[in-house]
Amino acid sequence: MKRPTSGHPRHVSRRRFLAGSVAATAGAAVLSRAPAALGQQVRELQVWHTEVEPQTVKTIQDTSIAEFERKFPGFKVKQQALGWGDLNTKLLASLAAGNPPDLTHLNPFVTASLHTKGLLRPMDELIRALGESDIHEATLKLQFFDGKYYGVTHAIGATYFAERRDLREKAGLKAPETYDDMLKLAAALTEGGRHALQMPGEKLYMGFVHPAEWLASNGGAWVDAKTWRPQLNGRAMLETLEYLQKLNRFMPGGWSGQKYLDTLAALATGKIAMAHLSGARTIGYIERYAPDTMRDPDHFQPMFRPRGPSGQKGISALDGENWGVFTQSKYPNEAFEFLRLFYKKEHYLQYCHSVPIHLTPIFKSMIGDPEYLANPRIKKWRSWHDFMVTGLKGARFLPIGFSRPEDNLLPFLAELDGSGIVADMIVEVMVGGKPPKAEADRAQKRAEELLAQLGFKRWA
Amino acid sequence: MRKNALAGWLLLAPALALLGGLVLFPIIYNAWLSLHDKHAFLTVQTFVGLRHYVYFAHDEEFWNSFYYGVVYAGSTMALQLVLGIPAALLLNEAFRGRNLLRGVVLFPYVIPTIVAVMLWKWLLNDSYGLVNHLLVTAGVVRVPLAWLGKDYIMWSLVLTSVWQFFPFVVVTYLARLQTIPPELYEAATVDGATAWRRFMHVTLPQTRNVLFVIVLLRSIWMFTKFDTVWLMAGEGGVSRYIRTLPVYAYARSFTYLQAGMGAALAVIMFVLLLVATAVYFRVFRQEEALA
Repeated sequence: MKRPTSGHPRHVSRRRFLAGSVAATAGAAVLSRAPAALGQQVRELQVWHTEVEPQTVKTIQDTSIAEFERKFPGFKVKQQALGWGDLNTKLLASLAAGNPPDLTHLNPFVTASLHTKGLLRPMDELIRALGESDIHEATLKLQFFDGKYYGVTHAIGATYFAERRDLREKAGLKAPETYDDMLKLAAALTEGGRHALQMPGEKLYMGFVHPAEWLASNGGAWVDAKTWRPQLNGRAMLETLEYLQKLNRFMPGGWSGQKYLDTLAALATGKIAMAHLSGARTIGYIERYAPDTMRDPDHFQPMFRPRGPSGQKGISALDGENWGVFTQSKYPNEAFEFLRLFYKKEHYLQYCHSVPIHLTPIFKSMIGDPEYLANPRIKKWRSWHDFMVTGLKGARFLPIGFSRPEDNLLPFLAELDGSGIVADMIVEVMVGGKPPKAEADRAQKRAEELLAQLGFKRWA
Repeated sequence: MRKNALAGWLLLAPALALLGGLVLFPIIYNAWLSLHDKHAFLTVQTFVGLRHYVYFAHDEEFWNSFYYGVVYAGSTMALQLVLGIPAALLLNEAFRGRNLLRGVVLFPYVIPTIVAVMLWKWLLNDSYGLVNHLLVTAGVVRVPLAWLGKDYIMWSLVLTSVWQFFPFVVVTYLARLQTIPPELYEAATVDGATAWRRFMHVTLPQTRNVLFVIVLLRSIWMFTKFDTVWLMAGEGGVSRYIRTLPVYAYARSFTYLQAGMGAALAVIMFVLLLVATAVYFRVFRQEEALA
């Protein structure tokens, strides 16, 4: 049935229009809040981490996240897997905006800096619940400041050489223990268009992770323990720079423009005999790209870092980010609850198995657990696992960017890394062929200026 | 009259507010920030006056970055002209497939920078890049060249940038070429002018103004170019050899975490470009008056 029409346009009074508008706005507001009113508001727990392998992301989703969402029906967990560089940039932006994730991976050298600025929450209760005495000493106290824990390592990996063991043995040489041994080995393995080794060109690695290892392996440190005065032109660094300048002869000319993953591919495909930065992730590259008959530990082995002339033993970086909860996190309690579920044995075992050996458990009881060792890849590459255990027992690992254990208290390592001062020095000496002393002095001056600008100058 | 003026201002107000909020405020805030010591993610800031400017006057890294910026902007701008003007002249001629070719020439300009840089980095890679493969196969070089290493990284960057941005010169110059009255060429031809003389005495004078704009815009854009430079080697050790001022400003703000110093660098770049533009305008006007 048709409605009668007057033939004139309908006029709406101003009052009526305003009343209608107000009602519509209120209605929209109520509707938008409807789930809350009904007790169904979905809150999002933001979790950021650095394990970007798809199978790891899926494992976290299927284990910890699934159980968390069952236990806390009002919550959805949103995980974001980010590479190191991306994580730092994104974190910085989120902190600057006052909206960081609820829970995130942090590099240990960044954690001290964030703690000093009062941005992290302590997590002693969680650590006790997980079993303080069972957490490996190599990681337990990395984020222990002012008598409280501010982080817990997600899993243990390490950065070491991956070598073509068959080539070294064919050359009749032992695994190098000193810088000199390493130079001899490099000379022996450079032949027929193949280079002995390749370093990753990223600043983070060649300009921070490795320099910390070199300092630690040669009795040096980033800064003087008391005054925090940089030690970039000290004996430990100078000897290292001279060694690096010689080592550069055995690397491909364009190494400083190549990435970490390029070096793994180069090792697997026989272009180089040693990858300077390796971890158990290398196994994946070997299994994918090496010739069929060579995909085994007889051909590819991990190798410890050599020590410098002033050092006691070669040190590698312990690759293990820690979880951190920010003071600005929206749901800190839920973040801690999530971590309890993450470390629950059945979940954590699957997590560690998602990239075996690269994700070695932080719990001493689990490292030798038959259930953990039953993984097929660990079985096949057992010598790589044993290498990790030997390194942990022999204190051959220090957290990434640390030149000594006490560096966890330095609040400026993130800025020192970010400045690229050390990277510039390494590149100028290795690639530019500049004199080590002059470049070390220049880097020292820049580092002193930086720390003074940041307000960390304690020396006269 | 006064009522009209008020109405005019009221009508202008939204635009002024937008301009003020989106253009003026960031510039003024940046200048203000440059007078402070400020950590990138902490709210506390300390007034330090002109200290950052004094520091940069003596900072070797600043002068290196300035040098790299001038080399990069100067060489890419010159090469874009060298490549873009002949291409525009060619595309102004009538021939079969011209429209298709015009579309193809635009291609590098319309693809995202990340794609362009990744493409060139892949082509130039010394381990698996096509360029080295071809050079070695053809016997031009014995061992692959490290295009992304210290010695060639600047020229690889220049090559990538010129490839990506010369279509702007082509399109802009071509647009002006199409508006030159054909009678001028006909008259010159009747007078017996060769192609070169027609170009020198008809085309160039007619396109002076557009060339002025192209040089001005491209110089500013290349001097302040961040994405291409950063993507080429931002996180790599070799970035040292192409660290232009915008990259250094970014690094100061977001990797050194010194937001005040980064802001000071931005102000310095702004002033440098302002001065260069003013000088350029003056020179152009003088030349125009002489012409």
